[in-house]
Amino acid sequence: MKRIDFLALGLSALPMAATLTSGCGKSEKTNDRKYLVVFSQCNNAEPYRAAQNALLENICAEYEDIQLEIMDAQQQNQNQIAQIETAITKQPDLLIVAPNERGPLTKIMGQAMDAGIPTICLERDILEPNYTTYIKCDNYEIGRMAGQFIADHLKAKYGQVKGKIVDLRGLLGVEGEINRHNGARSVLEQYDDVEFVQEAVADWLQSRARERMTEILSAQEQIDVVYGHNDPMAIGAYLAAKEVGREKEMIFVGVDGLGSEGGGIAKVMSGVLAATFIYPLCIDKAMEIGNQILRTPDFKPDKEYIMPSQIVTPENAEELYQKVTLQ
Amino acid sequence: MKKNKSTEPNQAIRVKDPLESLRGAYRLIRPIQSILGLLVIFVVAIVISPRARGDGSIIFLSEGNLTNILRQVSEIGIIALAMTFVILTAGIDLCVGSILALSASITAFLLVKWPDPTASSALSTGVHIAIAVSAALALSTFLGALNGATIAFMRLQPFIVTLAAMIGVRGLARWLTNNRNIDVGFAGATGETATLGADPGVVFANFFTKNMVIALFIGSAILFGFVLRYTVLGRYIRALGDNARASLYAGLPIKRVQIFVYALSGLMAGLAGVIHCAQNHQGSPNDGMAFELDAIAAVVIGGTSLSGGRGTIWGAVVGTLIMGVLRNMFRLKGVDSNVEMMCKAVIIILAVWIQRSRS
Repeated sequence: MKRIDFLALGLSALPMAATLTSGCGKSEKTNDRKYLVVFSQCNNAEPYRAAQNALLENICAEYEDIQLEIMDAQQQNQNQIAQIETAITKQPDLLIVAPNERGPLTKIMGQAMDAGIPTICLERDILEPNYTTYIKCDNYEIGRMAGQFIADHLKAKYGQVKGKIVDLRGLLGVEGEINRHNGARSVLEQYDDVEFVQEAVADWLQSRARERMTEILSAQEQIDVVYGHNDPMAIGAYLAAKEVGREKEMIFVGVDGLGSEGGGIAKVMSGVLAATFIYPLCIDKAMEIGNQILRTPDFKPDKEYIMPSQIVTPENAEELYQKVTLQ
Repeated sequence: MKKNKSTEPNQAIRVKDPLESLRGAYRLIRPIQSILGLLVIFVVAIVISPRARGDGSIIFLSEGNLTNILRQVSEIGIIALAMTFVILTAGIDLCVGSILALSASITAFLLVKWPDPTASSALSTGVHIAIAVSAALALSTFLGALNGATIAFMRLQPFIVTLAAMIGVRGLARWLTNNRNIDVGFAGATGETATLGADPGVVFANFFTKNMVIALFIGSAILFGFVLRYTVLGRYIRALGDNARASLYAGLPIKRVQIFVYALSGLMAGLAGVIHCAQNHQGSPNDGMAFELDAIAAVVIGGTSLSGGRGTIWGAVVGTLIMGVLRNMFRLKGVDSNVEMMCKAVIIILAVWIQRSRS
C-alpha cells in the first residue's frame, strides 16, 4: 500500500518517471493470465479518496490474477490526462477513472475507449458518455436527504419548521458542492421561517471550518443547525462551538459517512454529529462490474449504475460502522 | 491655513512654519507610526462591526472576539517570527506550511497510534505527550537545518532549496500518513469515558487552551525581539542580509548563521504544527497550504524588506495582527471570501507602500 502510494506520488511529481515505469510495468506482466487494472484517481489527498484506494486494494488483493496500479493526479487535470495517456500505452485490461473535472477528462477517456480499453467512469460524470459504464452517486439526492433531516429536526424542536441554519460549503464550483448545497436548499427553502443566517466557504477542511465557525459564533447569537457539506467541516464547526460551550445549542450534520475511527460514522456514534449521509465509495461496485467485464466475455454492463446513499443516525451508526469500516 | 499665514506680517521670517507644523505632527504620530495601519484597520473594524442583539455592544470589541483573533493569528504569527530572521538574512523559507503539516501529522500519529493503543501501554501520559511533541519538533528542526546546510554548503538559492523542500516535505507527510487525517483527543466527545483522564490525545488537546496558544505566541515574540535587538547573533543576522560579502570579509560565521535561521524556522513551523494539531484535534497532511505566503505577507506588511538587512520582530507581530483583524472584520460581516481576498491584496500593497515612504 505504502509502496504503491509512493509510486503514485513519484509518478505524478515526475511525468518523466511515469513513462519510464510504464515500460517496466509492461515487462513485469510476464504471466499472461494476470489482468492489469489501472485506477486513475483524481486526488489521493482527500480522506474519501484515500478510503476508495484502500478499499480497491483490499478487493484486488483477493484476486491473485489482478495486478493493480493506482495513479494519483493530485487534483490536476493535466496530470490525469498524462496518466491516462500512459495507461493507454500499457493496454490495461480495465481502466477505472475518477475524473478530476468533467470537461478536461472527456476527450482522453474517449481515446481510452477508442483503444479498446474497458473504461469505468467513477462517481463524477464527464461531458460525453466516453465510458463502458458509469457508477454514479447522486449528490443532489444526498443534499435533499440532509435538507429533509434538518426540516424534521426543526419540526421536532419547535413544533414547526423554523430555525437558523449555518451552511459550511466546500470548494465552490465543484459538482458535489453545488448539488449538496442545492439539494438541501430545495427542501428548506419551502419554509419561510427557515433562515440561512450565514454561509461560509471552508474548502472541505476541518481546520478552516473551525476557524470560520469561531467568527460565526461571535456574530450569531442563536444557531439551530450547522450543515457541513462534508463531515470534517461539520466536525470543525463542532470543535469551535464546543470551545465556547455552545455545542449543545445546535446540531451538526455532515456528509460522507466514512468508516474507521477518523470517519464520520464514528462521529455520529460519539455524538459529535447528529447525522451524516453516506456518500458511497463506488469503487466496490466498479470492481464488481469490472470483474464481470474481465471474466465474462459476453457481459454487457448497463450504461449507468446509481449508488444509493444512506442516512447515518445514532440508531444505525454502530451497525453501519461495522459494515463500512475495512477489515 | 495657508491664507492665514500669508496675511501675517512677519511672513518672511516664518517661511518654514508650515513644514515646522508638519514636523510637529510627524513627531506626534511617530511613536505610533509603526502601528498606524493596525490602528486604522482596528477603528474601521469597530465602526462596521455588527452589534450584539441583546445589549447592542460591539461584537468586534468583545473579549471573546479579540482573544479569538489573537488565537487565530498565533500559528501564522509564530511562523512569521522565524520567517523574519530568515528574510533578514535575505533568504526565504517556503516550506513552513509543509513542515507544519508534517509536524501536526507526526504528533497525532505518535499520540494515537504509537505505541500500539491496544497493547497495555507502559508509558505514562506525560512522557507519551513529551515524546510525541519532541519528536515532531526535532524532525522539523532537522529538516530546517537541512535546508540551511543545503543553502550554505551547496550555495543554492534559498527560494529554490525551500521550494523543493516544500514539495518534498508535503510528500513525506502524506506518505507517512497514507493521505489520511489522524484524529486526536475525541475520546471525550460525549464526555465521560473511564479512561478519559489517561488518554494522551485528550490531555494533549486540552493543554493547548486559547490562553496557552496566545501566551506561546507572545512569549516567542518577546524572545525573538530580544535576540534580534540585544545579542550578537541578532547583529550577525542583520549584517548577513545587509551585505553578505562584507560579512564574509569581516569573518562572520555566515554558514552557521544560515543553518541556524533555517533550523529555527523549521522549529517554529514545527511548533505551529503541534499547536495546529491540538487546536483542530487532528493531524492532517493537507493542512498548512499557503501558510508560507501568509507568513511572508505578515512579515512584509510589518515593514521588513525582502532584500534583507532591514526589519523588526515588532513589525512582524503588527503585520500578523493586521491580517488577523482584517480577516475577522470581514468574517463578522459575512463578506464573500473572494471579496476578502481582493481587499487583502490591496491592503498588502498599501501597507508596504506606507512603510516604504516612511523610510
